[in-house]
Amino acid sequence: MKEELRKCKKCLLPETYETLLIDEDDNGCNMCKTSTFKKEGIDWDKRKLMLDKVIEKHRGKHEYDCIVPFSGGKDSSYTLYYLMKEYNIKPLVVRFNHGFMRTNHEKNTQRVLKKLGADFIDFTSNWKIVKKLMFESFKRKTDFCWHCHTGIYSFPLQVALKFKVPLILWGEPLAEMSAYYTYEDDVIEWEDEEKFNMVRNLGITADDMWGMIHTEEDPIDKRDLSPYTYPKLEDLQKMNYHSVCLGSYIPWDYKKNTEIIMNELGWEPDELEGVPKEINEEGAKIECWMQGTRDYIKYLKRGYSRVTQLTNFELRNDNMSVEDAQRWIDNFEGKKPASLEIFLEYMGITEEEFNSRVKDFIVPPFKPNFEDLQTGKPAHDMDEWYRENNIKK
Amino acid sequence: MLKKRLIPTLLLRNNRMVKGVEFDNYQDTGDPVFASKVYNSQYVDELVFIDIDATNESRSTNKEIIKSVSKECFMPLTIGGGVKSIEGIRDLLLVGADKVMINSAAYNDENLIKKSSEIFGAQCIVIGIDVRFENNEYVLYKNSGKIKLKTKLIDHLKRMEELGAGEFFINNITNDGVMKGYDLNLINIVTSNTNIPVIASGGAGNFKHLVDAYKSTSVSGLAMASIFHFGDNNPIRARFHLKNNKVNIKEV
Amino acid sequence: MIGVIDCGIGNLSSVKNALYFIGAESIIIKDPSLIKSMDKLILPGVGSFNVAMKRLTDQGFVSEIKDFANTGKYILGICLGMQLLADLGNESGITEGLGLIKGKVEFLKSSDLRIPHMGWNGIKLNNEHPILNNVKLRADFYFVHSYFFNTDSVNNILTYTDYGFEFPSIVCNDKKNVIGIQFHPEKSQKQGIKILQNFLSL
Repeated sequence: MKEELRKCKKCLLPETYETLLIDEDDNGCNMCKTSTFKKEGIDWDKRKLMLDKVIEKHRGKHEYDCIVPFSGGKDSSYTLYYLMKEYNIKPLVVRFNHGFMRTNHEKNTQRVLKKLGADFIDFTSNWKIVKKLMFESFKRKTDFCWHCHTGIYSFPLQVALKFKVPLILWGEPLAEMSAYYTYEDDVIEWEDEEKFNMVRNLGITADDMWGMIHTEEDPIDKRDLSPYTYPKLEDLQKMNYHSVCLGSYIPWDYKKNTEIIMNELGWEPDELEGVPKEINEEGAKIECWMQGTRDYIKYLKRGYSRVTQLTNFELRNDNMSVEDAQRWIDNFEGKKPASLEIFLEYMGITEEEFNSRVKDFIVPPFKPNFEDLQTGKPAHDMDEWYRENNIKK
Repeated sequence: MLKKRLIPTLLLRNNRMVKGVEFDNYQDTGDPVFASKVYNSQYVDELVFIDIDATNESRSTNKEIIKSVSKECFMPLTIGGGVKSIEGIRDLLLVGADKVMINSAAYNDENLIKKSSEIFGAQCIVIGIDVRFENNEYVLYKNSGKIKLKTKLIDHLKRMEELGAGEFFINNITNDGVMKGYDLNLINIVTSNTNIPVIASGGAGNFKHLVDAYKSTSVSGLAMASIFHFGDNNPIRARFHLKNNKVNIKEV
Repeated sequence: MIGVIDCGIGNLSSVKNALYFIGAESIIIKDPSLIKSMDKLILPGVGSFNVAMKRLTDQGFVSEIKDFANTGKYILGICLGMQLLADLGNESGITEGLGLIKGKVEFLKSSDLRIPHMGWNGIKLNNEHPILNNVKLRADFYFVHSYFFNTDSVNNILTYTDYGFEFPSIVCNDKKNVIGIQFHPEKSQKQGIKILQNFLSL
């Protein structure tokens, strides 16, 4: 099954990883090359000076110096910490809340915000609509997170417009984990409509989605799609918006960033479903309790999952050996999450229906084996997660 | 070297995009202008719009759609559906279409093909052909697959090329929307019976289908829709997959 | 102000839209007497060489364009517009072109490749020119043509493209102010738009 997939010999990312290009001469890949370029080919001193200018240009001129889109995870916590410590700015912290925040994660959010001191807007959209969006998105793409992808990247910009704050500072650049954007392009990565259409919204705009879920029997108010609607370009341009990634100005280092927020703010990692603690010391993806199911779908479609994603960074940065990484992958990937039943409840479908949908979306050349899957250990806080208790048999 | 083309098709009905299976059971798949912007940000090679209702009302809407799309998408645009007159072709070219697809009208108005090719240039005229495989041969259909024709496929190809067609857009109705792969046999028959570029449509469900069609036929481009509407795929991912499998596609 | 020549046979909206997108002020020129007051000229074109030259001649564009070129101001010919810049065209008989860049337009047929040459193809740099500043030279551009610009003057060839054989895809005159591009920059997405932006800044 897995042996059929070609992989990069250094970082073990498989050919089904989106935008991965395997180099047939040396079996390396474009992601490894870009990691090298990031260290050697970018003038980070010059980039830092550019950031100084951007901050000063906006300081004090509006109700807030900038908007910091925030989830409470390691990247946005570091972004907020860095900007406030380095520049002493007055930010408006904005969170689009996907509705699946775990308890330890909420504790982290409290620690970060109370230790740093900033105004915070936390918005959670209508759960009944979210369920419909999850279902439609799962049906068409087997990626049920459409509401989250679109909300996270649209809502902070809507807030920026409402408060008339043109500078929006995001965290890690896409160049860190894909080739949609590359370090070799030598540009500052923006979070703009082009990127939104290219990678964020799965090719479905809020308007499209309304047309897809609205029926005569079950009509949907167009306003219910507004949290997911990307603001009009003219409005953003009128305000001279500047929506950029901090990771284009300073070199992004997950390990170092997480160490800092752990030491300075008391931020704590948590356990993920299907992932050993030892390789998630940076606390990736601890904010969402749907992580287990999301990673499971990825495994079924593409033959790799969260463990591969985490070890690839260690491998690219020479922090782990290939043998160790492969051992983690073999022992932990490919298990069914205990929380799958929660997803099935939310969607009102059976596991057979789930499998049958995912089967249609398998990315060749991978071929999953639905029969031999073991169920993994539940996460320690699974009992705290919201249930609908309507499992369909 | 000339690259193989990746061409999303956008079916239009009542100002919305739709997608069906075997020319039936259409589902709403979004707004065509927004979708064009999405495809544009993903560096597709061309866009083909087909109006499946092709009524008089929809014709002016189609012009509005092309007009809006051509303001922001700087790549070739083809539009088809109910095209049956020189004025109609001129109108569409003037609002920003680069090519016009003629399907049903080609069967009873050869003069349209000849004249429009002379006036606008062969490269503007795409002949759309819908077929079904029945009783061991390919049978041509017109009017969105509703009317069966006696014309033979190879005769039609040769005649259209003679009259000045610039490109063929060939679709097997039975494969359309089914997402189980292109009809490679059909593609090979068409490419070996014409000297002009051939775009094949109908059947793409995953990237392997694209690789198979590009590598085992001499098709110039592949058109697709369901793979993007109903798959967790986008053209950029397709591009990387094709490159990993040694298909020559566009560099950006 | 950029003048976009309308000699009645081309679809101008793509060029207009692209110019608008990059913030260039442009007008469509139907009256040749307006040419001299333009800052730059674009000659787009779709169709056949002899029909286009006939219209340019009949409507009085030829001498105005030639004079404009002599002033040193920039002219950009696109696709058929690039071919019209040649001395001669060979489509349905021999026709005189504008003669602004040394060369002859001939049929593209070579080996058994399909005609027209339609789709995305690459360019290989032969001579530098500011119109290619910051353009990703490994990118592909959109071609659609059945004839090509043939010239022996290697100094006038900025880029080559391979379609069975290598033909000139971008050419310019000795003074470097008249440029011809065989592909459609206004249809070649980001890199094509960059070329137009460069033309605007020349």
